[in-house]
Amino acid sequence: MSSSVVKPVRQVRRRTGFAARTDWWAYAMIAPAFIGLAALYLWPFLSTFLKSFMNVPVFGPGEFNGVDNYTKLIGDDAFWRALGNTALYTGIVLLGIPLAIVFAALIQQVSRGRAVYRVLFFLPVVTLPVAIGMVWRFILNGDFGLLNWVFSLVGIPGQYWVADDRFTIYAFAVVGIWMGLGVNLIILGAGLQNIPVELYEASSLDGANRVRQFFSITLPLLSPTIFFVTVLTTISALQMFDLVFIMLGSVNNTAIDGSKTIVYLFYEAAFVQFKQGFAATIAIVLLVIIMAVTALQFRLQKKWVIYD
Amino acid sequence: MTRRESGTKRRASRRSGASAGQWRIHLILVISVALMVVPFVWEILTAFKTNNEVSSLPPTLFPANPTTAAFETFFATVPFWMQFGVSAASLVMRVIGQVLVAALAGYAFARLTFPGRNVLFVLFLLMLMVPSQLFLIGQFDLMKGLGLLNTLPALAIPGMFSAFGTFLLRQAFLTMPKEYEEAARLDGAGTLRTFWSVMLPMARSMIAALAVLTSLYSWNDLLWPLIVSPAGDNRPLTVGLASMQGQFGTDYPTLMAGALICTLPLVIVFIALQRQFFAGIASSGLKG
Amino acid sequence: MHKKWLTAAAAVATVGLLAACSTPSEAPSDEPVTITYQVWAGTQTPAMQEIVDAFEEENPNITVELQELPWPQYWSTLQTSAAGGTAPDAFWMLAQQIKPYAEGKQLLDITDAIEAEGVDLANYPQAVLDLYDQGDGAIYGLPKDFDTNAIWYNKALFDAAGVDYPTDSWTWEDFRTAAKELTNAEAGVWGVAAPIDYQGGYYNSIFQAGGQVISDDGKTAELDTPEAIAGIKFWTDLMADGSSPTLQQLSDTEAETQFEQGKIAMYLSGAYWALKLYDNAEIRPNIDVAPLPIGEQRATVTSGIANVGYVGTKHPDEVAKFLIFASGETAANIQAKAGAVLPAFKGTEQTWMDAMPEFTNLQVFIDAIEYAVPLPVQGNAAEWQGLQTEFLTPAWNGQESVEDAARKYTEAIDKVLAEG
Repeated sequence: MSSSVVKPVRQVRRRTGFAARTDWWAYAMIAPAFIGLAALYLWPFLSTFLKSFMNVPVFGPGEFNGVDNYTKLIGDDAFWRALGNTALYTGIVLLGIPLAIVFAALIQQVSRGRAVYRVLFFLPVVTLPVAIGMVWRFILNGDFGLLNWVFSLVGIPGQYWVADDRFTIYAFAVVGIWMGLGVNLIILGAGLQNIPVELYEASSLDGANRVRQFFSITLPLLSPTIFFVTVLTTISALQMFDLVFIMLGSVNNTAIDGSKTIVYLFYEAAFVQFKQGFAATIAIVLLVIIMAVTALQFRLQKKWVIYD
Repeated sequence: MTRRESGTKRRASRRSGASAGQWRIHLILVISVALMVVPFVWEILTAFKTNNEVSSLPPTLFPANPTTAAFETFFATVPFWMQFGVSAASLVMRVIGQVLVAALAGYAFARLTFPGRNVLFVLFLLMLMVPSQLFLIGQFDLMKGLGLLNTLPALAIPGMFSAFGTFLLRQAFLTMPKEYEEAARLDGAGTLRTFWSVMLPMARSMIAALAVLTSLYSWNDLLWPLIVSPAGDNRPLTVGLASMQGQFGTDYPTLMAGALICTLPLVIVFIALQRQFFAGIASSGLKG
Repeated sequence: MHKKWLTAAAAVATVGLLAACSTPSEAPSDEPVTITYQVWAGTQTPAMQEIVDAFEEENPNITVELQELPWPQYWSTLQTSAAGGTAPDAFWMLAQQIKPYAEGKQLLDITDAIEAEGVDLANYPQAVLDLYDQGDGAIYGLPKDFDTNAIWYNKALFDAAGVDYPTDSWTWEDFRTAAKELTNAEAGVWGVAAPIDYQGGYYNSIFQAGGQVISDDGKTAELDTPEAIAGIKFWTDLMADGSSPTLQQLSDTEAETQFEQGKIAMYLSGAYWALKLYDNAEIRPNIDVAPLPIGEQRATVTSGIANVGYVGTKHPDEVAKFLIFASGETAANIQAKAGAVLPAFKGTEQTWMDAMPEFTNLQVFIDAIEYAVPLPVQGNAAEWQGLQTEFLTPAWNGQESVEDAARKYTEAIDKVLAEG
């Protein structure tokens, strides 16, 4: 990230003449974006931060209560359960990346029908998450769902995938992988295009087969893109909300308590129970977690990402 | 440029070299794609069944007596066209706003010199990394303060100012050759003129990608509309569809018919503009 | 962009000023006024529209917009909009939800209007009025309906299993035995549905066992008393017998839906399902209703929906007028005729029963008033009732003893009650 910030400066410095002067138009051009950013992102961020140290009742003004919300959150079983669920979900969804790499590589190999494959893999991305939740909820229904029926044909016992909290997270994760495949495929596909053909040609002359080429050329050269996709997938998985809301949202689903994610907990606290101070605390903790995980990934990348 | 060239070169070499193994790859891909689309196929088949057929065991693959009753129930109970209108109108507002705001700021960040540029830009980048849920309460308070709750602008405004668009278009302007700009300036065009008539047209493809991505987020957004516009006449389709689930509970044919109809518009747009979609996704990598 | 913002800001400011100026002025009663009325979606909507029409006819200057919300989003939406100052002018309220709204001063006090219109509170069931009494001397709304619980049952399933229909002298033992006999796992038929449902379910049996949910002073929970535990065991026993679908099955497909699908022989719930069941032509001839079984004593909880107004409304007089009308005799008769729900206004019960002539035993719900107890709604009821799945699921699934689950849940409720 930091390198991209520095780059334009270097370019500008290199230029001579009029461009070096301060261009006052710039402020006018940035003003709309900046005012919007300040009002809709910066200020809400600061107010959420403040509210995380406050007790804010449903109606009326709040009062500061120090770190009460934080200690309450840490002592709250529901929070740790949600954290565990979110971590499990994220972990499984990351398994979708190897899948996406394989499919991206396979699509790269075919000479015809690439567009069709890409479009079909991409369909879930352009489908309303609400609709996705509904369809899957139906497919995963324990009594008359398609999945249990298919399983029964091959002798696997069916389960209540979206009504039994031993299975709900796995159900979300399968749907999450299915939803994310299209995006990852496109990004990885673009990465594959950047790998010089000559490398493959040279190794073919050396007698390497496709599988070997995949591991010795494709994977290493694709590693920066894979890293990028991993970071993005992790961040969005840590923020998963829609699937819980739609797949378990019905009022008397007894699996809901064991299936909440962090953001669902936040939504519930903020907009169902209206404990906005507590909700703000959840959001801040989530931010810290995301930053920590992302930082960790950036550290670890040195071990496996190969930049040329 | 180089990217495109190497791509075509490789494609050519593969075609001549390794067509023998092609059918095997196709086989794997066709099976995988078939698995991918099962939910959609099931959705379509279910929409034409009756509720009794759906809840009977074992399930039937094809509707025994295909009926459009589910679609009729859907249109009779859900104000589809109104909600479609809300979704479409807020999408248009959001896309136009985002493109304008982002193009102006993106250009300034990429090409103009002014004190405080780097500090400002870092601020934009930082906001990009904060999870969007963190802004919800404050944005809600702001919309409430402006008296905009349950209105179209409330749905569209936050999305117009997301730092993401600025970042994306800044990258696009950075990659453009400076010669055009300098020529325009030498001809006496001012900053705004240069931006508007020279640079903006050159960023067409990236703007299209941004527009398409913004549309995608706007059309699919659930959490924000659920908070600012959960009831009344300004509910978008996502909220309407979520409400429908509460109303029809286990009437799966109606739910599937509704899901199908609400999804269709964007799918059609996607198939028509797939190149812009893919370009947008590939260049940004940001997910909805 | 700048200009747009300025114009928008100016417009907002102007509207604000106008609103500020117009509120204090005495609004003449014939000025055209529009108010909104929010209800949750269901079989009652047509009757509500009829009530609105009747009100508009009497008050040509007032237009009432009926807004429907689905049940799962009703309360979060209401809270969000009340906090945002955009709540509907009039809306349905439940006793277990009213407290935060009353304490937060979000509800329109209509005491004066009730006096002025000469409303006789004796026309409403005292138990239901009490539920909405916040002890602050104010009346925020009047009940539009009330409900008691009974056994809805499917005669066809009783006939198929050769079991006698429920009688009004059935004991818990009779009920449990019948539920077992009615269950036919192979055919996918269960004797009863036993979800974790406070209103139609375990509160009733707790009172039948001689226990209570919350102490008399309203400060502590009493779910861990031997009587209350017996009341909860009534349900967990049915689960343990295998006489009910599992909680998972009841989560995938709700009890009421399964009852309509003919998979469940007995469904213990309120009078409010009558019209929905009556409207289902396939199942209507098979449906009948009997009183709840007797434990140590007869008991059912009773509650009802109240029409209340939003304190922030621009037209408090018109809203008060509408609220009184919507809970009044004319409206009660409209509800009754439509069969929508059992009206709270006394003397309209017969009309309600006549609306569904094929259901011959609806009198059961009205007779139940004699032994009805108000639904326990002390403190922030919605919050502690919301904890029920978390604490009681292990007992229902047999993973934990009822005693342990009840003790933990009692502690959790005490904590909520202590918070006020």
